[in-house]
Amino acid sequence: MNFPNELKYTKDHEWVSSSDSKIGVTAYAIEQLGDIVHIELPEVGKDLKQGASFGTIESTKTVSDLYMPVSGKITAVNQAVLKSPESLQNDPYKNGWLIQIAASGDAPGLMSAKDYEAFIAEH
Amino acid sequence: MMTTSNSTFMKTALYNQHKACGAKVIEFGGWLMPVSYTSVLTEHKAVREKCGIFDVSHMGEVTIKGPQAEAFVQHITMNDAAKLKPGQGQYSALLNESGGMIDDLIVYRLGAEEFFICMNAANRTKDFQWISTHATDFDVRATNESDQWAQLAVQGPTSLDAMMAVVEPSDRGIIEALPYTNIAKVNVAGRPCLVARTGYTGEHGYEIYLPVDHAEKLWLALLATAPKTGIVPVGLGARDTLRLEACYLLYGNDMNDETTPLEAGVAWAVKLTKPAFIGKDALVRQKASGIKQKIVALKMKDDGIPRHGMTVYWRGEPAGFVTSGSVLPTVGGAGGMAMVSAGVVENDELEVDIRGKRKLATVVKRPLYSAKTK
Repeated sequence: MNFPNELKYTKDHEWVSSSDSKIGVTAYAIEQLGDIVHIELPEVGKDLKQGASFGTIESTKTVSDLYMPVSGKITAVNQAVLKSPESLQNDPYKNGWLIQIAASGDAPGLMSAKDYEAFIAEH
Repeated sequence: MMTTSNSTFMKTALYNQHKACGAKVIEFGGWLMPVSYTSVLTEHKAVREKCGIFDVSHMGEVTIKGPQAEAFVQHITMNDAAKLKPGQGQYSALLNESGGMIDDLIVYRLGAEEFFICMNAANRTKDFQWISTHATDFDVRATNESDQWAQLAVQGPTSLDAMMAVVEPSDRGIIEALPYTNIAKVNVAGRPCLVARTGYTGEHGYEIYLPVDHAEKLWLALLATAPKTGIVPVGLGARDTLRLEACYLLYGNDMNDETTPLEAGVAWAVKLTKPAFIGKDALVRQKASGIKQKIVALKMKDDGIPRHGMTVYWRGEPAGFVTSGSVLPTVGGAGGMAMVSAGVVENDELEVDIRGKRKLATVVKRPLYSAKTK
């Protein structure tokens, strides 16, 4: 499974890019969920704190909350992914970003790719 | 089936086969069962277009034998078992005195004085207790044979081809001619089994009751027909989306022991004209006074997926809840079933409260999906 080194990861299986502040979910999360059939994301302009739910991701069987890896204001929402959520399956990082934010404040508790990989191996 | 010493969950005889096929395993009704092998949507499609094999060995089986077998089955079930000739089966249910569904069942008649009943996995113990308690008033012997039987479902347009490959050549004619809901004793992969033309997917298909120690052999023999039939193993995930499109009820989700069959939309399997049976008086009263709620099928107009328990609004007021909901892979979009006020009719607009947002849905005719030939 692929976990790009340039991203930071959460225990809830989101990733955040420090270069362009895009946020998504990891390949591990996608594999655990199975077929992704529906995604709900917030409106642009919404201000959310680290750890707050910014939407939901649904597989055929389950609904999971998505949590902000860092605090910030939503500046863009990936419309392409909303239209074809199944596309996340093949590309959860590059074209599979969910939201882009203007980050604010510190973001404690994020993991490197290496630490995240160790974290999922334990769980 | 067997219980392993290091786990409180039961495993079917095919547990190792599921693991070997790469199954994702979940706990379901006390059992460790495959939820999917590849993906729910892929497996769903395979059953609609080709064929799927399901391990449903967790289901329970009871036999009723004796001079009063028919009278007893008539007494404890809602459908008319007296109409069954040997080899025929029917959808039915055990009801309590209030008319609530203890479980829904398939009742097969195997002989003049012998019935074979298939019940839900999670209700096996409850059902058998109920059956045994009432059997004391009749000259019958009720036996819980759940641990002796494995069960495989073979479902989809090419299911007959798969069956032809594993059924004894001299028995092939019986399976080819088997009418819907009938059952036959035939040799399958070299051992006597019961084969019924039934299913829970909405497709043409078969359910095979077989000895537990024969399960691996038949599982592998059926999978070996893949080059010709396209058969793939299918888990509980696709089993649920398939049955939902076909609008088959799932006990515990769509109904429970407080739901009557008149409310659950299976009045066609209730025979109030037959002599007294447990729950009959309550149903007669309910029919006379009119049902207050009923199950309807719905399709979402807005974005969003309805899920079990979500509140349903009708004409702006709360009118019930979603009993089962999902994406509908073959039909398209999302939808499901809901228990709503009896006044709701086809084409009515409903709103489903999906995490605080009311999303539009339409009441549609059941089933959501119907195969061209079943």
